[in-house]
Amino acid sequence: MFDGTADEISKLIEPGRVHRRVYTDSDIFELEMDRIFGCAWIFAGHTSQIPNIGDYVTSDIGRQPIIFIRHKDGTPQVLLNRCAHRGPKVCNEPCGNLKSLTCLYHGWSYDTDGTLLDVSMPEGAAQHFKKSEFGLAKAPRMGEYRGFVFVSMARKGISFDEFLGPMKANIDDLVDRAPDGEISLDAGMHRYFFRGNWKLQVENVLDSYHVPYSHASTVNKKGEQFSRREGDKEGAQVVEEKTTKTADAWKGRRSFVVDFGHGWTSNTELNEKARSSPAYDAYKVALADKVGKSRMEEILTPEFHNSLLYPNCSIMGLNIHIRLIRPIAPDLTEVTVYPVKLNGAPDEMNSANIRLLNVTHSATSFVQTDDLESFRRTQAGLRSNQSDWIDFSRGMGEEEADPYYNATRESAMHEMAIRAQYQAWLHYMCEAA
Amino acid sequence: MDSLVIPAATKPKQKQNINREEFELFLIYEGRLLDDREFEKWMDLYTDDGVYWVPSTDGQPDPYNEASLFFDDKQLMKTRIERLRHPRIHIQTPPSRTNHVISNVIVEEADDDKGTYLISSSLLMGEYRLDVQRFFIGRQFHRITRDGNSFRISLKRVNLINCDTAFEAMAVPI
Repeated sequence: MFDGTADEISKLIEPGRVHRRVYTDSDIFELEMDRIFGCAWIFAGHTSQIPNIGDYVTSDIGRQPIIFIRHKDGTPQVLLNRCAHRGPKVCNEPCGNLKSLTCLYHGWSYDTDGTLLDVSMPEGAAQHFKKSEFGLAKAPRMGEYRGFVFVSMARKGISFDEFLGPMKANIDDLVDRAPDGEISLDAGMHRYFFRGNWKLQVENVLDSYHVPYSHASTVNKKGEQFSRREGDKEGAQVVEEKTTKTADAWKGRRSFVVDFGHGWTSNTELNEKARSSPAYDAYKVALADKVGKSRMEEILTPEFHNSLLYPNCSIMGLNIHIRLIRPIAPDLTEVTVYPVKLNGAPDEMNSANIRLLNVTHSATSFVQTDDLESFRRTQAGLRSNQSDWIDFSRGMGEEEADPYYNATRESAMHEMAIRAQYQAWLHYMCEAA
Repeated sequence: MDSLVIPAATKPKQKQNINREEFELFLIYEGRLLDDREFEKWMDLYTDDGVYWVPSTDGQPDPYNEASLFFDDKQLMKTRIERLRHPRIHIQTPPSRTNHVISNVIVEEADDDKGTYLISSSLLMGEYRLDVQRFFIGRQFHRITRDGNSFRISLKRVNLINCDTAFEAMAVPI
């Protein structure tokens, strides 16, 4: 029996390794839902998804269904999608527009901020029944930065500002690429699932070590990956020409970590000077018109490849998208990938991003599918108790301070980022114990 | 792009002055090439500006403003197929086995003078890999042009009934 005491939990993590139960055990998974997804700041939506009053999208925080909706007063609200009466999900569509929210079962209706408006046959209500006590529950805390709305399902804990901390720069890096200084997540989504633990996808986001082998099938005879950005003439050099050795340019990548498990990897080295196409060139003009030529050049000099907002949100800088990782069971995870549209960029540029994302991170893509196969096989392999431990010790002791970012850095071929994620995991799991 | 627009259902005419069988046989051949993993021959069926599109929303108007499951022009098709031939494509180790079942073939539009046709059909593709069998079901639309004894495809659009669900990884075209 696993009680989830801080003592029990801390025994699951040792320097450079983690116990396999962390990926397979349903008791631990339940605790994660309470202590991580029930406490940490979790991405609930982007304001561009709900531009008008009454617009809503439904999704989940951990396993709890939510409604992200634009209230009458113009504010975004995050409501629990569960009728306060007998519990049905009130909103049943992925998105839409509503003046009020009515439960199908007994017709209770709610305002767009969750306030209970009407109960059918009010004459039958118990004497002690007060409408004011029966609204749709709201996420206890909400924070917004440049349209990214996060919620915490706990009343107490670190503030949104503390949580986001230096990762604001990673959001800025993406959003500043839009000539209008705003992005839109209204270009549909990719949805896929895999038969594996949610942390396998989280760890993969900042793992550059797997790329040369896992993604070998995306690399041509010259060792270059296929071209993934509009205007690029060639893709990143991943392995050396005519050998299977990892290319120096790839090995030079770094990973960075800051507090709370967040981190990022440095940019993929591409020939920025040669990047040109009618759509990309028109986009550069549109951006320079708004911010000036030198700022345009600064913005278009990539700094970040992938950024992780632990526990389950990532910002991907090459094929720009926001990714959400949703745990469903210890061995089942669903991922949503939102293409990012840069407001004010030419339509052709946004279309190119959308089209390239189809082949990099959809359920049918050239890149993501091999990762999904890795996650599936990992979960299957972890059934073996030959060893209880999973190793992520690469580069231990080689971490160093990065004064420019005020972060800790290491080669991205190492596993520092995963170790940092487990420090955050321990913190969340033990703090609430 | 007008060619991407799909018409609504029309009542069948009493007698069509065209031979439905040759279209049906062509669609069966196209599906068979995929089942036989003859991906290069499958790609050769497409015109130089041909596209293969599987939308990710019901009634998706175009592939330019929203994500799609597949939207390959010939260049992307070629990259996809080169990857399918790569010895280290993990998601196809072992490979999928598929079978395309094609039925309810309808000639939606026909211009015999130009030799251009829009053919719709019901599609059921079973896929089996590593003890998991799954099915893709939908209506597919082929815009084709007569080319000697056969046809070339300028558009294949597959409207899956579950286009907006979460899929487990998919490696082979539907």
